[in-house]
Amino acid sequence: MTLIKEFTKGFIKENPVFVMALGLCPTLAVTTSVQNAIGMGLAATFVLVCSNLIISLIKNFIPNKIRIPCYIVVIASFVTIVDMVMEAYVPSLHKNLGLFIPLIVVNCIILGRAEAFAGKNNLIRSFLDGLGMGLGFTLALIIIGGIREILGVGQFFGYNVFPATYKPILAAILAPGAFLIMGVLMGLLNLMKKR
Amino acid sequence: MKYYLTLGFVLLVITVISSGILAYINSFTQPIINENQRIAKEKARMEVMPDAVSFDSLGSFNDETIFTAVDESGNIIGYTFMASLYGYSSHVKTMVGVTTDLKLNRIKIIEQKETPGLGANCVKPEFQELFIEKYEHELLVDKDGGKITSLTGATITTRTIANSIRNGINYLDQLISFQTDTEVLNPDAEVENDSN
Amino acid sequence: MEFVSKIFALAIGAIFVQNFVLMRFLGLCPYIGVSKKVDSALGMGMAVIFVMTMASTITWVLQTYLLVPLKIEFLQTIAFILTIASLVQLVEMIIQKLAPALYKALGVFLPLITTNCAVLGVAILNINEKFSFIESILYGLFAGVGFTLVLVLMAGIREKLDKAEIPESMKGMPIAMVVAGCMALAFLGFSGLKL
Repeated sequence: MTLIKEFTKGFIKENPVFVMALGLCPTLAVTTSVQNAIGMGLAATFVLVCSNLIISLIKNFIPNKIRIPCYIVVIASFVTIVDMVMEAYVPSLHKNLGLFIPLIVVNCIILGRAEAFAGKNNLIRSFLDGLGMGLGFTLALIIIGGIREILGVGQFFGYNVFPATYKPILAAILAPGAFLIMGVLMGLLNLMKKR
Repeated sequence: MKYYLTLGFVLLVITVISSGILAYINSFTQPIINENQRIAKEKARMEVMPDAVSFDSLGSFNDETIFTAVDESGNIIGYTFMASLYGYSSHVKTMVGVTTDLKLNRIKIIEQKETPGLGANCVKPEFQELFIEKYEHELLVDKDGGKITSLTGATITTRTIANSIRNGINYLDQLISFQTDTEVLNPDAEVENDSN
Repeated sequence: MEFVSKIFALAIGAIFVQNFVLMRFLGLCPYIGVSKKVDSALGMGMAVIFVMTMASTITWVLQTYLLVPLKIEFLQTIAFILTIASLVQLVEMIIQKLAPALYKALGVFLPLITTNCAVLGVAILNINEKFSFIESILYGLFAGVGFTLVLVLMAGIREKLDKAEIPESMKGMPIAMVVAGCMALAFLGFSGLKL
């Protein structure tokens, strides 16, 4: 039972983006389309799961004083792997996400989970925690990416959802729209929690 | 002291292991990445000069090779080059094909990160078709008295693309006339020298 | 003269046109997290300017004289993040020894800077944009100034917001996002500025 909870807590209750407001930079920067959102979400999930696993494995060998630098090296290695593999096999997505792939290293979600969870828990729990948090992050990205793509381009996942006469609200895919949509979504979530 | 040495040693071991793994993976992915880029450029060249069957390098422009396009019977039918300038928020790179009289054949935007919904519309075929069969002096945005209809809300992107292509054509013009001159002066000189 | 105008263009570009926070979405966590009081925003800003300039300098040297000659560019992410982490640590120790007063003002912000993606972001951007040594240093400096500017502006607005009547569910993070959206809208006016 608790294992399932470890997995599902990242979806809504402890959603890293909406509830804990972590990893905001990629959340707003790459969500101009659902496709980018999924790409970013899965890349971060991969790094999160792998680094959680490795850190949980080696936590007993790492002296407490240098644990953060060690975590950073582990995370940076997985980020580099993702970076290289994506450039080789999905070059166009790699180009779209650009700078934000190497920047997964400093995504507070990943170091945060390493420090707060994987460094203290066993392998299975760390794995489930990483997977849950990663998918929660992906879910948040898809929601924001979906709203921005529908409003800003009039498409969802590249398919038209409005008749051709629809005039897209350009602001939604520009920078201000990202902030506004994020703010309104967070507000709505607060409202729902209170009800 | 010994404690600090242990700390350094642990960090070193972790870093060395990671570097080793990364080097191993890199040895797989790097050739694929290079190959992808080569194929992408080759495809782009075929797209802007569909009648050509082979390409020979002629010189270089913007750190990219200029090619002569050769058709089935071995005649030179035009040239391709990569036009590149900084647009609104990114470098816009365009593969350009021109015929031998320096008339544009086709263009293809290879790389851009302009504003989605505005400048990024430059990748749409309708826009790229505007450039077909234009001469150098016509490559100006309509506002500046040329024949290229500006993208809605993205005059800068449009102007950038037109300017980058004009630069390229001018460079190519000089390159060709220079090579023809040297050919006249010393008839034995090789025309298609690899200057890149 | 041409040099001066180039520097000017770089400055306007980094501070206004491509503002790191509002246009590039870099450094959002401290932007939302440390913008409740003008004083602390200013302290954080100064610390970031300092670290960004230093990081730009060191990572450029590292990339040009170590990673590229040895053909190990794939270790860029690891090398840069470790450099930044140790730099932050070093700066913390030096300031603590030499200028205790300054340390008192900046101390609490310094550890946060390691995971500020604007720092790693500017280091990677310098390389991607093929900046020269001098350009890299200046770009780091100006990017930091741009970050500080919007951080302090935001803090000023949020100090006033405390007194405003805001719907309960929009308080805190959501309204901060909406304000950020409005600021981004204003900064959008700078875009396309050609110098």
